[in-house]
Amino acid sequence: MDKSTMENSNEDLDLFRSIEYTGNGFYWTVGFLIFVIAFGLYGYFHQVLYGLGVTGMAQPISWGFYIVNFVFFIGISHAGTLISAILRLSQAEWRRPITRMAEIITAIVLAIGGLHPILDLGQPGRMWNLVTNGRLQSPLLWDVTSITAYFAASTVYLYLPMIPDIAILRDRGVKPKWLYQFLSWNWQDTPEQKRVLERAINILMIMVIPIAVSVHTVISYIFAMTIQPGWHSTIFGPYFVAGAIFSGIAALMIAMIAFRKIFHLERYLKLIHFQYLSTLLLIMSIIWFYFTFSEYLTTFYGNEPDEMRVFNYKFIGDFAPYFWLMVFCNFAVPVIILSFKKTKTIPGILVVSFSVLIGMWLERLIIVVPSLANPRLEYPVGIYIPTITEWGLFAAGVAIFILGFLMFAKYFPLISIWEIREGRESSIKEVAHRLQSYMPDTYEEDELERALK
Amino acid sequence: MNHKMIKVLQISSLAYIWIFVIAVDVWIFSLLFVAKKLDDAINASVAIGLIAIPLFIAIASILTYVFFGLQKYAKPEEKANVL
Amino acid sequence: MQESGNHRWGMVIDLNKCTGCGECVAACKVENNVAIVGAEESEMDRTMFWMDIITTHEGEYPDTEVTYFPRPCFHCDNPPCTKVCPVRATYRNDEGIVTQIFPQCIGCRYCMAACPYTVKSFNWFAPDWPEEMNSSLNPDVSVRPVGVVEKCTFCIHRLQKAKELARAEDRELREGDYLPACSESCPTDAISFGDLNDPHSEVNKLAKSLRAFRMLEELGTEPKVYYLSKVE
Repeated sequence: MDKSTMENSNEDLDLFRSIEYTGNGFYWTVGFLIFVIAFGLYGYFHQVLYGLGVTGMAQPISWGFYIVNFVFFIGISHAGTLISAILRLSQAEWRRPITRMAEIITAIVLAIGGLHPILDLGQPGRMWNLVTNGRLQSPLLWDVTSITAYFAASTVYLYLPMIPDIAILRDRGVKPKWLYQFLSWNWQDTPEQKRVLERAINILMIMVIPIAVSVHTVISYIFAMTIQPGWHSTIFGPYFVAGAIFSGIAALMIAMIAFRKIFHLERYLKLIHFQYLSTLLLIMSIIWFYFTFSEYLTTFYGNEPDEMRVFNYKFIGDFAPYFWLMVFCNFAVPVIILSFKKTKTIPGILVVSFSVLIGMWLERLIIVVPSLANPRLEYPVGIYIPTITEWGLFAAGVAIFILGFLMFAKYFPLISIWEIREGRESSIKEVAHRLQSYMPDTYEEDELERALK
Repeated sequence: MNHKMIKVLQISSLAYIWIFVIAVDVWIFSLLFVAKKLDDAINASVAIGLIAIPLFIAIASILTYVFFGLQKYAKPEEKANVL
Repeated sequence: MQESGNHRWGMVIDLNKCTGCGECVAACKVENNVAIVGAEESEMDRTMFWMDIITTHEGEYPDTEVTYFPRPCFHCDNPPCTKVCPVRATYRNDEGIVTQIFPQCIGCRYCMAACPYTVKSFNWFAPDWPEEMNSSLNPDVSVRPVGVVEKCTFCIHRLQKAKELARAEDRELREGDYLPACSESCPTDAISFGDLNDPHSEVNKLAKSLRAFRMLEELGTEPKVYYLSKVE
C-alpha cells in the first residue's frame, strides 16, 4: 500500500468500526431477535401441524396478513436497488454513502418477502408441484419468476460494487481471512480491473431498473388480473411501484439513521443526504396521493354498485379508521413535516419515515382485505382478526430483516469505502468538468476539433 | 487456507450460480412443454419464457465476465502467487 | 355412446319451485363428504358448503319478498378461477365441468380470491366427522386433506359411474343417467340437470326460456347454471 491510500484508510476508520468492534449491545440485540424469530417459527410449526385454521383467515376473507406482508416487504425491497441504480445512473454524487445500504435492504427484504407466499400455502409440502406442473399464465408464477430474477440481479448488484471493499478488508487482515480472500476475487485495484468492474456495474444498473419495476408490477397483477371489485384496476401496476419506492425510501432512511447513531457516522451520513432523500420521499408522497386520488375518484364517479360496496367499506365502513389513518400517515404527515425547513431535521425525518412505513403497510391491508370482505353475492361476512400466529410471523419477518442487516454490518462495510474515497479523490474534478460542459461556448476536445474543421 | 483452495472455491461457487441459472431456465422451458401438453395458454408462456430465460443467463454472464476479467488483469506477481 | 367432449353439462334451477328447504345442501354434504365444522369454526365463517343457499330480501317489512338461490359452483365456460391457478389444480374439462384436483392443490387460495361468486371453500383444519359418521362416508369421493381448496364438482363421480354403466349395457348415456345429488334429492324438482348440448334435453329447453338468467352474467364468465326467475 502506498502512503496516500494508507492515510485514506486511516481517515475512514469509522467505516470499519462495525466490523472490527463488537459490543455487548450486538449480542443482546441478536439474542432478542433470535427469540422473536423462534417465536414466529414456533407459530409456523403450529400452523403446518394443524392447518391454516390457526390464522384469522376464513371465507370469504381468504387472504390476510401473509399476503399483506408479502406485498409490503417486497415493496420495501424497492428501496434499494432501484434507488441506488437511479442515483448511479443520474450520476448523483451524494449517492456514495447511501447506495450500499439501499442494496442490502433489497437483498434481505426480498428474501423475506419472497418467502411469504409459502407461509400462506395450505400445503407447503406440495411446492414441488410448481416445478413439475407450474402454469406460467398464473400471475403467481409471474411473481415467482420475477422475484427470482430480481433477487439474482440485486444480489449481484450488491456484490459487484462490494468487491473493492472486500479487498480492502482482506488487505487489512480482517478475520475470517479466507472469507475476504474468497470473496475479493483477486481484486488489486488495477485500472483494468476497475474498467471491467465499472462496465459490469453499468450494464447491471440499467438491467436492474426494469426488473425492479416489473417485480412490483406483477405483484399488483395478482390482484389486478382478477375481476374482483377494488382489484381489477389498470392503475395498479404503477400504483404499486410508486408505493413500493415510497415505503422503500422510508425504510432506507430509518436504517441510515439507526446506523449513523450507533456507529457515529455523522461525518458520512450528513444532514444533506437525509434532506435530499426526504425531498424524494416528499415527491413520492405526492405521487402516492395522486394515484390514490385517481384510483378512488374513478370508482366513486363510476358508481358501480359492487365497486361502491368496497369503496364504502373503506371510506365509511369497517375499514374507515385504517383508511383515514393511512391517508394521514402517507400524505398529511410527510407533507406537513417535510415542507418546512424547521421540521426537516433528523428526528422529523425519522418520524415521517415510520409514519410512511405504517401508512404503506395499511395501504397493503386496505387493498387486500376489503375486496375479499365484500363478495358480489350476498354472503354473511365476518371481520378479519389476525391471530397471534400471524402477528408472530410478522414480527419474525421484521426481526429477520434487522438480524440480516446486523450480520451484514458485522462482516461488510455498510458504506462503500472505495466509492467514498473515489469521490474524495476525483469526483470534484469530474463534476467540475461535467458542469463546464453544460455551459454555453465550451466544447469537449473532439467537439472542438470537429467545429474547427 | 491456501490460495489454491480459495481458487477452487471461487470457481465452484461460480459454477453453482450457473447451475442455479440453468436450472431456472430449464424449469421455465419445461413449463412451456407442460403448457403445450395440456393445451394451456402456450402463447402466454412463450412470451414470459422469451423474456425470463435470457435474463437469467445475462445475470450469470455478467458475474462470470467480472470474475475472469479480474483474474486476467490482476498484477502479474500476485497472479503467480495465486495460481 | 357420445364421444367425450360432446357433452356440456348444465343445471337449471327454478326459483318458483324452490322452497329453500335445504335438502340439496344436506344431500350434497353427505354425497361429497363435505366436512362438518364445529360451532366455533362456524362462527368464524369457515363452514363448508359445496351447495349453499343464498337468501335475498327485497322490499320493506311486511311486504318482503324472500328469494332462495340454491348456489352450486356455476361451472363457468370462461372460469376466472382456473386461469389463476399456479399448478393446474383446477381446470375446465372437455365436458365443461370445472374440476378440482385435490392432490395437486398447494392451497394458495388464489382461485378463491378470483372467483366472483365466492363458491370455493378451504380446509382450514383437517376435516373431521363425528365418530358415528365415519362409516357413512361416500367411498366414491375422496376425503380432502387439510389445506386444499374444494368446491362443487357437479358430482363428477356420478358421471363416471353413469358412463361405466352405459358402457357395460352397451348403450349411449341417456338423459337422467347422470344427476348430481342436489338435483336428485330436490323434493320439488326445482333443480334440473342435463346436457346443454343435447337439443332434446330438458335443461336445454329450460335454459332457452324467457325466464332463464344466469348469475352476474355481465361478467362474461358464461356460467352453466341457469335460474328461472320467479313469476307470480
